[in-house]
Amino acid sequence: MENSFDQDLIYAIFKMAWSKKALEREKNEEGETSKGEERAGTSKRNRPTSANSNAVKLSCELLRLFVTEAVQRAATIAEAEGGNKIEATHLERILPQLLLDF
Amino acid sequence: MDPMEGGFNGSDYEREEDDEATNHLRDRFRLSTISIAESEAKRNNMEISQPVVVCISDLAFKYAEQLAEDLELFAHHASRKSVNMNDVILSAHRNKNLADSLRSFSYDLMKGKEPQSEKKRKKSSSKEDKTLHSVLHIDP
Repeated sequence: MENSFDQDLIYAIFKMAWSKKALEREKNEEGETSKGEERAGTSKRNRPTSANSNAVKLSCELLRLFVTEAVQRAATIAEAEGGNKIEATHLERILPQLLLDF
Repeated sequence: MDPMEGGFNGSDYEREEDDEATNHLRDRFRLSTISIAESEAKRNNMEISQPVVVCISDLAFKYAEQLAEDLELFAHHASRKSVNMNDVILSAHRNKNLADSLRSFSYDLMKGKEPQSEKKRKKSSSKEDKTLHSVLHIDP
C-alpha cells in the first residue's frame, strides 16, 4: 500500500488514450463520408470524456494490483526454482494467466 | 507482405511508439512501476531484474490504455461523459476477487473522505522521494 501510481499521471494517460481514440473516430467518420476532403474540422471533437477523482484513484489501485500481482506470481515461480532473483523466464511462466486475470 | 499487417492492430502500435507525448507518459509510468515492483519484490525477499520490470511496466501501460478505452465505452453506454468508480469496478468484472477488492477499496475511498484519507494522501506523498530514489537507482 505504501506507494501507488500518481493520480495525475494515470489521468494524463487516460486523457491521451481518449483523445487518440477520438481522433481515430473522427478520421474514420470523415473517411466514410467524404474521402477526398481535408480533415481540418477538428472542432467536432466536443466529446471530452472525463473521470471523477475517485475513479482515477481506483484505476491507480487496479494498475498497482496488476504490477504487484505480476511480481508476486513471478516471485513464487522464482522461489520454486530455488533462485532469489526474478528473471524473464519466470515472468514468461506466469504471463498467460496474469493477462487472463486482468 | 509484412506479417504484422494482417494482425489486429499492428500498425497502431507502430504509430503509438512514435508519439512524443506518449513516450513521455510511458517513461513517467515506468518510473512509478519500478518503485512499486521493487518494493513488492523486496517484500517477497526477492530481487527483480531490470528487463522484467521494464516488461511489466510496458504491459501495465498497455493495460492502462486499454482500460481507458473500456472506461470510456462504459461511461458513454450509461450516457455519461464522466467515468465513475462503478465503471472501473465493471472493467474488472471477469475476475471476482479483483472486483471485490476494488469494491472494498472504493468503499474506503467513499467513507474515507475525512481523516482516514488524509493519512492515505500523506502516505502517498512519501512516494515522491521513492520515485526519485529509483530514478537515481536506474540511471547508470
